[in-house]
Amino acid sequence: MSGKQYLKNQLPVVLINLLGMLALALFLIAGDQPIQTVLFILVVWWIVLALSLSAFYFSRNKYLKKLLDMAEQLEERYLLPEIMQAPERADDQVFYRMMKMAEKSMLERIGEVQRERREYKEYIEQWIHEVKTPITAMKLLCENHRSLFFREVLAELEKINQYTEQALYYARSEHAEKDYSVREVNLCDVVHSAIADHKYLLRQSNMTVEIDEIETKVYTDEKWVRFILNQIIGNAIKYCAEQPVLHFEASKTNGKIVLSVSDNGIGIPQSDLPRIFEKGFTGQNGRTGKNSTGIGLYLCKRLCDKLGIGITADSENRGTTIFLSFQMNDFIIGVQG
Amino acid sequence: MKKRILIIEDDSTIRTQLKTLLAGNGYEVFAVTDFSQTIEQLKEAAPHLVILDIKLPGNNGFEICAQIRTFSDLPIVFVTGSNTDMDELNSIMLGGDAFITKPYNPAILLAKIAALLKKSCPSPQTEIFMWKEAVLHLESSTIEYKGQKAELTKNELKILYYLFKNAGKICSRNDIVDFLWDNQLYVDDNALSVNMTRIRDKLEAIGLADFIKTKHRQGYIL
Repeated sequence: MSGKQYLKNQLPVVLINLLGMLALALFLIAGDQPIQTVLFILVVWWIVLALSLSAFYFSRNKYLKKLLDMAEQLEERYLLPEIMQAPERADDQVFYRMMKMAEKSMLERIGEVQRERREYKEYIEQWIHEVKTPITAMKLLCENHRSLFFREVLAELEKINQYTEQALYYARSEHAEKDYSVREVNLCDVVHSAIADHKYLLRQSNMTVEIDEIETKVYTDEKWVRFILNQIIGNAIKYCAEQPVLHFEASKTNGKIVLSVSDNGIGIPQSDLPRIFEKGFTGQNGRTGKNSTGIGLYLCKRLCDKLGIGITADSENRGTTIFLSFQMNDFIIGVQG
Repeated sequence: MKKRILIIEDDSTIRTQLKTLLAGNGYEVFAVTDFSQTIEQLKEAAPHLVILDIKLPGNNGFEICAQIRTFSDLPIVFVTGSNTDMDELNSIMLGGDAFITKPYNPAILLAKIAALLKKSCPSPQTEIFMWKEAVLHLESSTIEYKGQKAELTKNELKILYYLFKNAGKICSRNDIVDFLWDNQLYVDDNALSVNMTRIRDKLEAIGLADFIKTKHRQGYIL
């Protein structure tokens, strides 16, 4: 509370007092009182007024400061009326009632938005599960009538599937912890199934797939890792160059198992590299006609954070390598001997 | 004897296409059409394996699985569009043997089915691949012709396996590469040519010259 502003607000009180002083002085002087007595009374009056004004100011200031501090420490500030004491002053009580009203309508609004969000998320998930039935039907139809034409349809279907998966995992990523089960996973199996998910797209782009030494076991959730690998493979296909090669390799380095996925595609400019995991970041390559959404790697990063997997990228003019590092749990190793 | 598979799936396109796919891979296939009498139809068909969708009209897949488990131990493959942990956990708890999410890769589905059937009802004799006196030994990865043997690499064995399986039919290069990819051997078109040349050299060495014929622009034929 600013002192100047307070004084300004108290101006009527001060003026009334001044008026009173003037009236009393005139009255006393008219009653032939000595000038010293008049001055003495006026000085005492003035001192009492000043003291009472400042005492009032300090007590108010203390009270309001306490409330302000409380509000600042609160994470959800709109809940302030819940924890503050009901005030005793009549005008404060009115403000308190208004705050209560504001809080209530805020809570109602939040509840409504949360419900809408949850319903929307449920709808998206349900929609995705439903759309998978026709995708499966089309896939089977194509597989049963293999020809060059159907091969291209299958490649497009792989893209559709990839996009729907992206939407599904985006909807789920907020509550990842509700939907994962960490198990012993053979890295080799996940990589093979991620490649199988892109079989026709990889074949279409004449990608050479190389796999080196990935027969290791990690403890993680298989379907999430598969989704992450799918995004990386999808990028490798999208940004491939002449004679594309996709290389998978796993290595153990100081307590971690690192899976590296490298391609020899168009790469990522050094200036873009630090920002590729940001939401909506498309970078130079994305802007020049490859119609990137800036969602894929952002989701990868987000899921990796939730799963405790480290994800980093490296690129030197040509080619990109994505490293996924899985923790080797001391406890698990201890149990296994 | 052909193995019998029962499909319990409400989407008619998937049902017919799955039937075609499985029938094409040497299974006898039945499908449930009246979902109010699933169990009766199952008992009638007496399959060796069941492919079960979770979302079904009437009783859902989990309930059907629980019912089946009261009288039979036959392998059950769950197939579903939703891949939540709860569904997977439920399917395992209720005695499902495999859990596959849509859209599945047909090759993976077939491999899972083959593996489950092998475990539940092992056939005593291993398959023998013979064509015009040439015998392909899968377990030792060799090919034999009139007492002469040639060692084969993993890729070569798979290529020959595919040609033997489709003996007498034209196999396009694309189909061969597809088959290799399904078996996790990521061979491209050039590598296939190299492998074919090597196979022909090996075959010639044991007296099988011109065993694999090239059909121009179509593929290979045994």
